[in-house]
Amino acid sequence: MELVIASGKGGVGKTTFSTSLAVLLKNHNFGIVDADAEAPNMHLIFDISKWDQEIDYAEKSLAEIDYSKCTHCKICLENCPYEAIHERNGKVEIKKYLCEGCNVCGILCPEKAIKIKSKEHSGWIRVAKTDYGPFITSELDVGQPNSGKLVTEEKKIAREWRKRGEIKHIIVDSAAGIGCQVISSMSGASHAILVGEPTKSSLSDLSRAYYLANHFRIKSYIVINKYDINPEFTGIKDFAYDNGIEIIGKIPYDKNVPLSMAYKKPLVIYSENSKAAKAIKDISSVVEQLL
Amino acid sequence: MNIAVTGGKGGTGKSTVAINIATILSKKYKVALVDADVECPNDHFLLSTNLKNEKKEYIFRPRFEYKKCVKCSLCVKNCAENAIVMFKEGYPFLIPTLCSGCKACQLVCHFDAIQNGQKEIGSTYLSKVNENLTIVTGVLKEGEEKSYPMVLFTKKRAEECGAEIKIFDTSAGTGNHVAAAIESADLVIAVTEPTPLGIHDIKMIMNLLSKQGKKGYVVINRSDLIPMDKSVIADYPIIGELPYSDLIVQCYLNGKSIVESYPECKESKIFESIIKKVMSWNLL
Repeated sequence: MELVIASGKGGVGKTTFSTSLAVLLKNHNFGIVDADAEAPNMHLIFDISKWDQEIDYAEKSLAEIDYSKCTHCKICLENCPYEAIHERNGKVEIKKYLCEGCNVCGILCPEKAIKIKSKEHSGWIRVAKTDYGPFITSELDVGQPNSGKLVTEEKKIAREWRKRGEIKHIIVDSAAGIGCQVISSMSGASHAILVGEPTKSSLSDLSRAYYLANHFRIKSYIVINKYDINPEFTGIKDFAYDNGIEIIGKIPYDKNVPLSMAYKKPLVIYSENSKAAKAIKDISSVVEQLL
Repeated sequence: MNIAVTGGKGGTGKSTVAINIATILSKKYKVALVDADVECPNDHFLLSTNLKNEKKEYIFRPRFEYKKCVKCSLCVKNCAENAIVMFKEGYPFLIPTLCSGCKACQLVCHFDAIQNGQKEIGSTYLSKVNENLTIVTGVLKEGEEKSYPMVLFTKKRAEECGAEIKIFDTSAGTGNHVAAAIESADLVIAVTEPTPLGIHDIKMIMNLLSKQGKKGYVVINRSDLIPMDKSVIADYPIIGELPYSDLIVQCYLNGKSIVESYPECKESKIFESIIKKVMSWNLL
């Protein structure tokens, strides 16, 4: 199984759910992947203090101006599709936190003053052992493009472990949104659990995440988190029914969830008998049936 | 004046802060609330407004004229996204979802073999909440990898509003698509929560802001939910602390701003005080 946890909307409980699920499934040889390179958080819940492996990541290339050749003609500035070039005090400058490295500026520069330079570092991938299985996380330097490519690299490592028989299954905690990181998280996954909460926002975002999962022909399931905060709202249930998606669990609002984060522990470890932990345990037995 | 609301982590309350400060400011000014979370735009739900005035947005997409193509492969080599692959016979072929529409391929082709095609990547909307407040929404088409161009389209569409104040509500994350949404802001509000997760991600956002040469002001949402060691963010100016509030949750669920529904409650007063501080800096 390669299980991806997604939601579209941020802050609905993906990380709480996936860290606890990983704990509960520890006897089934899962590798755990944090696929939110722009705001990785899983390592905080596992409270990892020692990394077994740190890999520098340097896929990204950026445009660089050779000022000995530049005449500040502004052709680059006018044609940058990402509005990443500006003029300051008569000098043309590249905003590195916006550049996509497409080289349109380099192609158009009449003085051949712009080259795409590879960076030495644009992020890292880290690997650690946890009590629940090997864990991979990554962090992209802020303002960089293509976080999805970093997620793809992480998944390559996890799949290599699986090929070598070190793990049997993979669980991927995806980022918020439906862009490149989530597409990379879903690509090649066998199952998806979409986490939603009973709000219009969450329903709208979850349905967009479902569209993606469907596009990748991934079998999807829904978990409703904080299901009791808005009992009148039946949108998620109706959406699941209309699309033939099974709702495999409902997690109640539980103050132990933020507390477990404060103490840097997975919820099912921090308060094993809390309402929310019990609900996640029920879901984990459903997931076990799918293995 | 442009204000950006961001935060790194998802679900910290960015949109709640954005709709409430937009509502307050719209009492006095013409405000555009720009929902730049193009992957998952939600501001219109929080103000019970339907998306209106759709405009489909297109980016460039290469259209190969194979009669003119000499199989030089320059377009393949110059595509930074690796979106152009070579067929067996040597002709280029596009993988549409990877294409970012930058035109590098067309620019390097010496043989005029790449014509202007276009690809729809989503839509922008202008939805009036009231006379003074318009929500500008960007919606990326599902399956598109690149949210960046859609953020730029949304910012451009916002120009149509003739607003005195624009409020940019960004997506979660810290990548360049978030930087693009923040870039034209005079002032940035970074919303976080008192968990180690919120703290970790606010540090990433503040790091991004310093690269952009912008000053960020922190709002701690649900500040009383769990004890928090504030020394870890002592370097950042805190502009407001919102307690965990059933009333805010209720307003969220009802699709209304709390400042409109309960102008006298303590939460609304906190939003008012944030705006008061912001306006006292005379950025308008």
